[in-house]
Amino acid sequence: MIELHDVGFSYGNADVLRGVSLVVRPGERVVLLGRNGSGKSTLSRLMNGSLLACSGEVVVDGITSAPETRGAIAAAVGYVRQDPRNQIVSPLVRDEVEFGPRNLGLPCEEVRARAEGALAACGLEALRLRMTDELSGGQQQLLSLAGVLAMSPRYLVLDEVGSHLDEAARTAIAGLVRGLMRGGTGVLEVAHGPEALFGASRAVVLEGGRIAWEGRPEDLLRSERALRASGLSDDPLTAPLVELVTRGGMLGESPDPAALADVLTVRDASREGVGRPERHRLSLERASVSYGGLAALDGVTFSCSGVTLLLGASGSGKTTAARVLAGVLAPDEGEASLDGAPVRAGEVGLSFQRPEDQLFADTVLEDLSFAPRMLGLRHREADARARDAAERLGVTEDLLDRSPFELSGGQMRRVALAGVLAAHPRACVLDEPSAGLDAPARRSLRELVSSLAREGVATLVVTHDAAEWLDVADDVVLLAGGRVVARVGAEEAARSPELFRAAGMEPPLLVRARAMAWGERNA
Amino acid sequence: MRRTFAPGAYRPGATPVHGIDVRVKIVSLLVASAAAFAAPAPRGLAVVAAGLLVALAASGTSPRRVLEALRPALVILGVSLLANGIVLVGQPGISAEGLVRSATAIARIVIVVGLALVFSSTTMPPAIADGMAALMAPLARLGVPVGGLSMAVSVALRFIPLASEEVERIRCAQRARGARLDEGGVIRRLSGWGQVLVPLVVSLFRRADELAAAMEDRCFTGEQTSMRGRLSYGDVAVLLGVVAWSACALLA
Repeated sequence: MIELHDVGFSYGNADVLRGVSLVVRPGERVVLLGRNGSGKSTLSRLMNGSLLACSGEVVVDGITSAPETRGAIAAAVGYVRQDPRNQIVSPLVRDEVEFGPRNLGLPCEEVRARAEGALAACGLEALRLRMTDELSGGQQQLLSLAGVLAMSPRYLVLDEVGSHLDEAARTAIAGLVRGLMRGGTGVLEVAHGPEALFGASRAVVLEGGRIAWEGRPEDLLRSERALRASGLSDDPLTAPLVELVTRGGMLGESPDPAALADVLTVRDASREGVGRPERHRLSLERASVSYGGLAALDGVTFSCSGVTLLLGASGSGKTTAARVLAGVLAPDEGEASLDGAPVRAGEVGLSFQRPEDQLFADTVLEDLSFAPRMLGLRHREADARARDAAERLGVTEDLLDRSPFELSGGQMRRVALAGVLAAHPRACVLDEPSAGLDAPARRSLRELVSSLAREGVATLVVTHDAAEWLDVADDVVLLAGGRVVARVGAEEAARSPELFRAAGMEPPLLVRARAMAWGERNA
Repeated sequence: MRRTFAPGAYRPGATPVHGIDVRVKIVSLLVASAAAFAAPAPRGLAVVAAGLLVALAASGTSPRRVLEALRPALVILGVSLLANGIVLVGQPGISAEGLVRSATAIARIVIVVGLALVFSSTTMPPAIADGMAALMAPLARLGVPVGGLSMAVSVALRFIPLASEEVERIRCAQRARGARLDEGGVIRRLSGWGQVLVPLVVSLFRRADELAAAMEDRCFTGEQTSMRGRLSYGDVAVLLGVVAWSACALLA
């Protein structure tokens, strides 16, 4: 049993956790929810001894967490992080899984046996002699999990492990975790969406470093306060789930689209969008790109105006298409055009999963005015645009003179996005913009994208999280193996799971549920 | 992912040479290279060359790839052949002796390149790092932190592709913001790289921090079980064969 008794933690003067008491028993899965900055990661790191409590105590199966017991606690509590790339140590898959058992000082044969067992449990046996950086993101996260399982921990802490993964990889991990729970492993799962509630034993909501709510998952969905404190009320899946439990339904072990279909209201009214102002159009015309003989894009043609979603399994060519459209990658054949003219680098706004990667200037204001200055605007105009963009993204005046690297993660993201918008691009490409954000931040991002579309900006959203974006999109383009599999309206995509399967993807829960609801209504 | 096969790059396979223990391969490469330089021409050199042919065949490497690997050096080798062969001073003409001398030197270089190619295309970089660490293990008695060093090499091998991916992504993002990284004079280009380096360094430090924490979470203390087994009889036989053959070449 992991027990936290009245635990407090602070970095310098800033209190991160105060008076937290919590228990995770063998065989149960506790879901930890809360907004970015609520202390979730700190709490989860206290559980495996990588941080030590400033007050109160953390006890794992009778061992109190202290500097001397660090090793014992880390061996008992496995920890899997959000970004697999930051926790894989070895260049070779097999070595990666052997790393943990070798650190435990186990004999060579035992290390081999444990590694083989963990690889098999995670379905990675066939990849054992591959280089780790050749694996897809989903496979890498399974590998991280295998590396922890090889140490046979009694408890697992999963820190938003699904936030960079697609639906299929998340389902695979959820299935694995269910099996581990049946085997008696206790799990603490830090989550940022309601999917984690399926099959959970309990949910805990952190707010401002304190436990704001604790109880059964169904009760969380019935409690308005818990939904608000956790930020879940801003997730598109929450409303149907709330409807489900208020009608007396249960969440069940794993997501059940049929149960959800009964409570969905199917919209078929076409979206407003006619009579929008002049709409810009960003197009890709028969574009082909190959890397060392491998075709990443093979004669891809589609165009985007309003909000277009670009979906596809990992390795389908999404990111390559995004770069060609943004004018930063020249295709081998074909071209990208904006309003009929070839795209030049700098004309189309581009932002990546971690937009903060592009910050470099000494002050926020300089960073924001960089793009306008590069367009040849004079100092005053560039500054004015920078300030406009800052205001739009909620970057307050007092931050403008600070260094961008002093800011919090959320502020950095807003600055980076403002830096893209300050150039007033006619089109934007956003590559995985919502990964790793909490629900309220994801919602404000969706609102921003909608408002850009209303101004006529063509926006392409490349994402693994279709359910998140389908409601604000106009069109959906599905890629597989570097080719366009389908181009449909978002309304249709939202109830067509077969389109996702045709692209080699697992359809999101909401899409499967909608398809059922739609089928029943038209039967 | 951008992947091209450079001449010396590892090629997955299951040839007899792929299966040899990496420590044996490293020692064999060193012994054979020494023999290639020291063997008397032409008989000793012929013995070494025959050995190379066996190694090429056993590793499924085509001789053409050896030539490809030599391509960057072709001009220098050609010039050296001519410079040794053509006599300008005294009685101008072509010196047969010079040509032979130069051809012998070139043959030695070709053989060593071929041997290195056989080694590198049948051994994964992580295994090479591991083998080096194993061979350096006796240095641990002198206080050299061999375990830490081999871990550092392994992590570096893991991070090089990540860093280059990161550079590529940051460059894209900066170009999309209007930065002209490939235009202008030297100073402008250098300052353009500053825009790439600042976020790169920040993100690499953040990654390094997180990786260190992840290693501690998995109980890394510097002490690890060694996964190197004893050498098999086959491996010992290969090693003895290589040594015997090198001795033959030297005595021929």
